[in-house]
Amino acid sequence: MNPAEELKQKLPSAVVSIGIQVNKPMAVIKKEELLNAAQKVKEMGFDHLSVITGIDYMDHFEVVYNFFSYAKKQNLALKVITDHEDPEVDSLTSLWKGADWLERETYDLVGIKFIGHPNLVRILLPDGWIGHPLRKDYDMDTEQFVTIGEGGEDIVSTDGSNLLRRK
Amino acid sequence: MDPVTIDTTKIKSIKRKPVTALEKLEDTGLISTVLAAREREGLILLSTIDQVFNWARLSSLWPVTSGLACCAIEMMGVAMAHHDIARFGMEIFRASPRQADLMFVAGTVTKRMAPRVKQLYEMMPDPKWVIAVGSCASTGGPYHESYSVLKGVDLIIPVDVYIPGCPPRPEAWLYAIIQLREKIKNEGYGAKWGLNK
Ligand code: SF4
Repeated sequence: MNPAEELKQKLPSAVVSIGIQVNKPMAVIKKEELLNAAQKVKEMGFDHLSVITGIDYMDHFEVVYNFFSYAKKQNLALKVITDHEDPEVDSLTSLWKGADWLERETYDLVGIKFIGHPNLVRILLPDGWIGHPLRKDYDMDTEQFVTIGEGGEDIVSTDGSNLLRRK
Repeated sequence: MDPVTIDTTKIKSIKRKPVTALEKLEDTGLISTVLAAREREGLILLSTIDQVFNWARLSSLWPVTSGLACCAIEMMGVAMAHHDIARFGMEIFRASPRQADLMFVAGTVTKRMAPRVKQLYEMMPDPKWVIAVGSCASTGGPYHESYSVLKGVDLIIPVDVYIPGCPPRPEAWLYAIIQLREKIKNEGYGAKWGLNK
């Protein structure tokens, strides 16, 4: 029995469907049940949360969590589907400390909000960047530039006049 | 004021006999640049000493220690024993831009790094040169269509030599260094400072 099936057996109410994706067992979880399911996943021995991804499907977002168990050498992927208007899921920082930066990255690039995250600010792009670049509706036509302010902080602007040599 | 006396017997072909000291000097052909206006007090002359300066500069180009992405790995390769840029007197990668006169922009210039690269360049004392290494630093390269990468470092700082490649082989670096030395050899500082007519 693979871990996704095991999870479905333990929490039948939380799991929407299971399957295999890229040779990894995968389970789609109800959004409200994410924390419960994650708790179970941790109890099953998945001690490493290796990556969190957000995918824009135009009408909805998908948040993918990839887990690994060092003891069992097993992979497991969890998926949560959120709506496109206001994508919000629960933060897993209370269970895996490593979720902190991964969730910040997903927030930065895809714009998924993680409820309960201790410090949900951008991690790669500077504060003030307009839009989330890995969304399909990100505006690629307005170029944004970064300059350094008086106190060393990053300032985002769209004209770049004090950075570029010529326009 | 007569700054230099010259041996007029050495001057062979004179169309109009030089009268003033300045005319005599210009006539020798030894002077590449005469700077000061005639009506000013005294004269500032730049002669073939330019060549000496240029020779000194091109023989000890000190690059600033800065690498931005994968191309910087190749920079380490070019500095190591096999390709050995110590042959050009440039093995000393300076950790401070104040002591460097060459910048390899080795790698992807991201939007966030761009003002820092510019600051680094501005901190370097004149005269200074820039080599843009790889497709990224030249044009944005594989990230040309990206939201986060500057489309060529020449948008923010002047570049002397571009090296294509992703990453360029160390041989290409050596070729670029030779090209830059050639360029420095032919530089005239009087002209660069704009004092010369
Ligand atoms: S040109 Fe290629 S090797 Fe160089 S920094 Fe860009 S991607 Fe990396």
